[in-house]
Amino acid sequence: MQRLPREIGNWIYDFFYNERAIAYVKIDAQLRTAAKGGNVQHYGLSSLRIGKPVADQLEFMEGLLPCPELPFHMPMVELPSGRVADLHLFADDDCVWLLFLDATAERDNKQRLQQKAYEMTLLQERERQLNEKLHSANEALRKSQEGLSREYQRAEALLLNILPASIAERLKAHKKIADNHAEVSVLFADIVGFTERARSVGAVTTLAILNYFFKAADRLAERHGCEKIKTIGDCVMVVAGLPTARSDHAQALAHYAVELRKAVKRESFAGEPIRLRIGIHSGPIVAGVIGKRRFAYDLWGETVNLASRIQTSAEPSEIRISDATRQLLGPKFACDPLEETELRGAGRVRMWRLPA
Amino acid sequence: MLQKKICMLGGFSVGKTSLVRRFVKSIFSETYLTTVGVKIDKKSVALPDKTVDLILWDLAGEDDIGSFRVSHVRGATGLVLVVDGTRAATLTAALTLRERVEAEFGAMPFVLLFNKSDLADRWVIPDREIDELRQRGWQVYLTSALSGEHVDDAFLKLASMVTK
Repeated sequence: MQRLPREIGNWIYDFFYNERAIAYVKIDAQLRTAAKGGNVQHYGLSSLRIGKPVADQLEFMEGLLPCPELPFHMPMVELPSGRVADLHLFADDDCVWLLFLDATAERDNKQRLQQKAYEMTLLQERERQLNEKLHSANEALRKSQEGLSREYQRAEALLLNILPASIAERLKAHKKIADNHAEVSVLFADIVGFTERARSVGAVTTLAILNYFFKAADRLAERHGCEKIKTIGDCVMVVAGLPTARSDHAQALAHYAVELRKAVKRESFAGEPIRLRIGIHSGPIVAGVIGKRRFAYDLWGETVNLASRIQTSAEPSEIRISDATRQLLGPKFACDPLEETELRGAGRVRMWRLPA
Repeated sequence: MLQKKICMLGGFSVGKTSLVRRFVKSIFSETYLTTVGVKIDKKSVALPDKTVDLILWDLAGEDDIGSFRVSHVRGATGLVLVVDGTRAATLTAALTLRERVEAEFGAMPFVLLFNKSDLADRWVIPDREIDELRQRGWQVYLTSALSGEHVDDAFLKLASMVTK
């Protein structure tokens, strides 16, 4: 190695000695402090005692002596004094030199940069974690909303099966429902000889027959713009002119009755085609919803009672209508007059029969 | 005088410095201050049959920049591997550091600390993973430098391991 001029050598020596606060400890073969020198007070080494074991006095030397790997360099070690030093260990014959070079400023600089970098990285990691959490929370929310909306649709469909749509809407809006309807037609229909036949065919067949009858009643109600209000045993109650008023309610219900009678004939019950007794009457009624947990949309009034009485008085397969209904039907419907009959609670009533 | 060099190893910001401060000085600070190079602390530990001075080397945390220097570990007799329980990647970092140290200086006793157990709502390490590590015969602790939970236990266990 080419030697530098003495002046440069001196300058470098002075520069390093002052800038890096060089200090040294000489360690003998017995691992004791043989000598110390340089800027020892800078590192808090002034009290280091010659002749005593190094590791007892310099805790950071624990485990490092004897050092199998020399020269050995440990950068940026913060000493108990608070100074940061680059430590160099190197051998010389039978002793080892421990050199201290101050690195406090360099450490502080590096720390500032590293602090910024790590804080940034931590923030990014945290952001990513939070985003993942947000994402999965959103996903869970979306799923439960889907479930909720499915449940809502089911509930809606069920409600619409029980109540007319416009009534259901008002009920959902928490309105009380009791409406006067001046002009509607009410129909009752039941199966002739139901009780006796039910006994002979058993419950399963009976249920199938009822199902067939009520399904036909539902289907035709939809087709003719009538509302099936309820079933009572084997009897079905249907109304026209509700919940929206219509002037041709009597005609609609008359058509309905004819079609219903025709439809059920196709099915047999205990060996015979199903036959109905049908009664219709027209007049004012009150319609409303009763109940809180199980809703029932129902009709009340004399019109309802009389329609029921007329139905009971009808012959098998007969559609029997009141005089009020016949007048509404007008001359287009040719009706057969019946003899005035005494009906319970209504006195003598004039009735007509819709032809087959 | 019985003294043993112990090195704190783990990813950056897992709580190595905070664990040492909790163990040596029983204090905790919320402020994060990164360690560059190494800081050395001493704590006397009384074991049933002897007293040992632990010389704790709090090393700079490992990251992509790679500030960890294996030379600092020379002379160590035990390791404290520290994982941040809210950051899954720091487990890999701690285990990789142990491998590097063992490749250089051979196997040595260690305890594995899953730190920040106080941050339960951000915890990402599943229990079964911790159980699995324990089944390897490893000494695993769930610690909190904030509350001090299990911190002394972990250091005392390591002290007894390195003085056996």
